[in-house]
Amino acid sequence: MAGPILQARGLSKTYRISEKQPGLAGTLRHLVRRRHRDVVAVDRISFAIEPGEIVGFLGPNGAGKTTTLKMLTGLIHPSGGALQVAGYEPWRRQAAFLRQITLVMGNRQQLIWDLPALDSLRVNAAVYGIAEPEARRRIGELAEMLELGAELQRPLRKLSLGQRMKAELLAALLHRPSVLFLDEPTLGLDVNAQARVRDFLADYNRRTGATVLLTSHYMGDITALCPRVLLIHQGQLFHDGSLADLTQRLAPCRQVRLELADLHPAEAFAGFGVIEAHQGHQVRLLVPRAQLTERVAVLLERFAVVDLEVSDPPIEELIGGLFRQRGQP
Amino acid sequence: MSWAWRVARALLGSQYALMLEYRAEIALWALSGVLPLIMLGVWSGSGAGAAAGLSPQQLSHYFLAAFVVRQFTVVWLIHVFEEDALQGRLSPFLLQPLAPLWRYLAAHLSEQATRVPFVLLMLGVVGLAAPGVLWWPSPGELVLGLLAILAAFLLRFLLQILVTTLCFWSERAAALDRLLLIPYLFLSGLVAPLDTFPPAVRRLALATPFPWMVDFPARLLAGEPVNVALGFGAIAAWCLLLWPIAHVLWRAGLRRYSAMGA
Amino acid sequence: MERPLIRDIRCYWRSLRCFWGTSLAAELEYPLNAAIEFVSVLGNLAGSLFVLQLLFAGGPSLGGWSWSGALVVLGLYTLLDGFTTCVLQPNLSRIVSHVQTGTLDYVLLKPIDSQFWLSARTVSPWGLPAIAAGLGLIGWALAQGGPEAAAGLRSPGAVLLPLALLLAALVILYSLWFVLAALSIWFVKVWNATEVLRYTLVAGRYPVSAYPPALRLLFTFVLPVAFLTTVPAEALLGRGSALWAIGSLLVAALCLAGSRLLWRFAQRSYTSASS
Repeated sequence: MAGPILQARGLSKTYRISEKQPGLAGTLRHLVRRRHRDVVAVDRISFAIEPGEIVGFLGPNGAGKTTTLKMLTGLIHPSGGALQVAGYEPWRRQAAFLRQITLVMGNRQQLIWDLPALDSLRVNAAVYGIAEPEARRRIGELAEMLELGAELQRPLRKLSLGQRMKAELLAALLHRPSVLFLDEPTLGLDVNAQARVRDFLADYNRRTGATVLLTSHYMGDITALCPRVLLIHQGQLFHDGSLADLTQRLAPCRQVRLELADLHPAEAFAGFGVIEAHQGHQVRLLVPRAQLTERVAVLLERFAVVDLEVSDPPIEELIGGLFRQRGQP
Repeated sequence: MSWAWRVARALLGSQYALMLEYRAEIALWALSGVLPLIMLGVWSGSGAGAAAGLSPQQLSHYFLAAFVVRQFTVVWLIHVFEEDALQGRLSPFLLQPLAPLWRYLAAHLSEQATRVPFVLLMLGVVGLAAPGVLWWPSPGELVLGLLAILAAFLLRFLLQILVTTLCFWSERAAALDRLLLIPYLFLSGLVAPLDTFPPAVRRLALATPFPWMVDFPARLLAGEPVNVALGFGAIAAWCLLLWPIAHVLWRAGLRRYSAMGA
Repeated sequence: MERPLIRDIRCYWRSLRCFWGTSLAAELEYPLNAAIEFVSVLGNLAGSLFVLQLLFAGGPSLGGWSWSGALVVLGLYTLLDGFTTCVLQPNLSRIVSHVQTGTLDYVLLKPIDSQFWLSARTVSPWGLPAIAAGLGLIGWALAQGGPEAAAGLRSPGAVLLPLALLLAALVILYSLWFVLAALSIWFVKVWNATEVLRYTLVAGRYPVSAYPPALRLLFTFVLPVAFLTTVPAEALLGRGSALWAIGSLLVAALCLAGSRLLWRFAQRSYTSASS
C-alpha cells in the first residue's frame, strides 16, 4: 500500500466540561443550573506517518497526548478534522480495523491477574480468530524475542513488573498488528527492563515493518527509538521532525565548556556569550548557534585552552523549560 | 474524657462529610432494604397473619417498623475492612493511638445519619401509596424503640467484628458473613413476624441473637406488647458473651497481621 | 472460503469456550467456595420453604396458588438466582472496575462485540448448586402436585412453551442487570444498583398475584418480576395464557433491544467524554 498509513488532518477534540463548586451548596446550585465550559484538548493538528516509522509523542500531562492517542485508536470520537489509520476511520472501530492495531498502556493491564499469561493469550487468540497451532507458533516466536519462557506459565501476580510488561506486549502483538500504539510502555520499569523493552520494540519494528507510535516520559525511550518526534503542547502540534531539529529549535544556544591553562577574570569572556559558570580554570558559556564556529575560533586564539567541549543542553531540560515558560503546571 | 469527646466529634464530623459525598450510593443502599415492604405485601395478601391473630394494621405496623429497624442496623464493616487490609490501608491506622474499630464505628453511625432523609422519603412514598398506613408511636415507644435500634446495631456490629477478625486468617471471611446472613434473614423477624412461627421454631429463634436485632425493636416501635427489660437484657447478655471473644480474636489477628509483615 | 457469518459464529463460540475455560480455572483456585455456596443454597432454600409454609398457614392458597404451584415459583426463583450467580454477577459487576481502571479501553479495542465480551467473559461455577436445587424443587413440586399439576408438560410441544418462557425470563433478567451495570459508564458508583436489583427481585419468590394490586402493577410493568417466575410457572402448570406468553416474549425482546441500544449510547458517551 502506497502512501501514509496514518493521516490526520485538522484533528480536533473539544470537551464540554460541566463546572461544579465543591460542597453541598455547590452541588445543589449545580443541579439547578448547569454551567458548561468548552475545553479544547486537541486543536487542529495535522500529520502523516509512513508505514514502518517509529514516531515518538512528546508533551506534558494534559497536553492532549493521550487524547490524540485515543482518537488514533478509535476510543474517542474526534470533534473535528479527518483521520485515517490503516485505511479506516478509527472511531467506527470496525473489526477489520481493530485487527490491524494494538494498544498497550503501561499503567493498565489486560491480562488476567490470577491466571498464567498463557491462558489470557489463548483468549486473545480466540477473540482475534487465530488458529491454535498458528497462535502457538507466534507465542513461541514472540516469547523468544522477549526472552520469556516458563514465566508464561506462572500466574501473572507472581511475575515482576518487567516480566508482566513483556507478557502484556506479547498479548498485544499476538494478532500481528501493523500499527502499534504504546502509551508509556516503560512506566515504572527499572533501567534494565526499560532497555529490554526498547530493544524489543526496535527489533519488532525491523522484523515486521510495523508502524510504532509511542509516548513516554523517559527521554531515553524516545532518543533510543524514535528518529521522528511529534511534540504536542497545549493541544497544538509544536514540532514534527527529528529530535535534533527540536533541540535546535528549542535551544538557540550551545553550551561551550572551557578548561584554561591560566586564570582570567570573568570580564574577559563577556563578549562571547552568556557566562553560565566561571570558577578557577573552568568556564561555561552559552553561545548562539550562528556565531558558534567564529567565536570558538577566537577563543582558541586568545586563550591557552587545555580542553574544549561543545554540547547541547539535555533535551529534558529544554522541553521542561519550554513547558514552564508557557505556564504549564 | 475530654480527649475522647474531641476524638469522637472529629471522627463523626469527618466521616459524616465523607458519607455525604457518597449520598447517591447510600440512597441506593437504602433502596435495597425494601425486603420488609415486599414481605408486607405478601403477608397482607395471605390469610396467614389473621390465622396467627394479627390484624392487618398490626401486620403493616410491624413490617414498616422492621423496615426502619433494618435501615438503621445495617453493618458493612467486613467489606471495608477486607479492602483496607488487602490494600494496606490498615497499617497506618494501626500506628495511630486509636483502635481502628472506632473509626469504622464512626463511619457506620455517620452513614446512618446520611440515610435518614432517604428513609423518610421512602416512608413518605409508602404513605402516599397506602394512605393511613403510617402512624406516630407514643413518645415512650419512640425513645425506647430508638434505643433498641441502637442496641441492636451495636450487637450486630459486634457480631460482625467477630467474623471480620477471621479476615486475618482467611480470604473467605466475607463468604462466611454471607452464611451468617441466612439465619439473620429468616430468624430475625425480617420476613415473618415471630408470632407466626410454630412454637418450637420460635423458642429456637429466641435462643439465637437474631430476633433481638429486628423483632424486638420493631415490636417496640409498632406498639406491640413486649417485655422491654427482657429485650434489652438479652442484647446486653449477647454483647457480654461476644465481646471477650471478639477482643481475643482481634488481638490474635493483629499479632498475625504484624507477624506477616503488614 | 467460509461465509463471514459462519466464521463469526465460530469465532464467538471459540471465544466463549476460551473465556469460560480460563475463568473456571481461576475460580477453582478457591475450593472452599464450593462448600460455602452449597451450605448457603441449602440454608436459603430451607428458609424460603419455612416462610412459604408460614404464609400457607392461613389457608390452602396464596393469591390463588396452591402449595405445589407456589413451590414451582420458588424453584424458578432459585434457578434464576443460580443463573445470576453463575453469569450475571461475575461479569456485570466487573464493568464498573473496567471503567474505574480504564481497562474498558482494551475491551472496546477487541475485534469482538463489546457487550458480548462484557456479558460472557467469565463464568462462576458457584451458582450451579442453586440451579440444581431450583430444578429439583420444580420437579418435586410438579410430581407432588399430581397429574394435573404437570399439565403443561403432557405433550412434547407443550414443553416448548415453558422453556420459551424460561428463556424469556433469563433474557429479561440479563437485560435488567446489564442496563444497571452499564449505567456505571456515567455514574461510576452506581454498581450498587445491581444489589438493589437483587434485593427487589426477591419479590419473585412468590406468585405475583399474592401481592396487593398496586404492587402487582409495579411488578408487571415497572420491574417485570411477574415475567421472571410467575409466567413460566403458570406455563409449567398448564395454566399459561396466550396473552401472558406473548407479553412475556415481547417484554424479553424489548428488554434485550433496550439493553443493546443503551450500550450503544453508553459507548458513544464514553468515547466522546473520557480523557
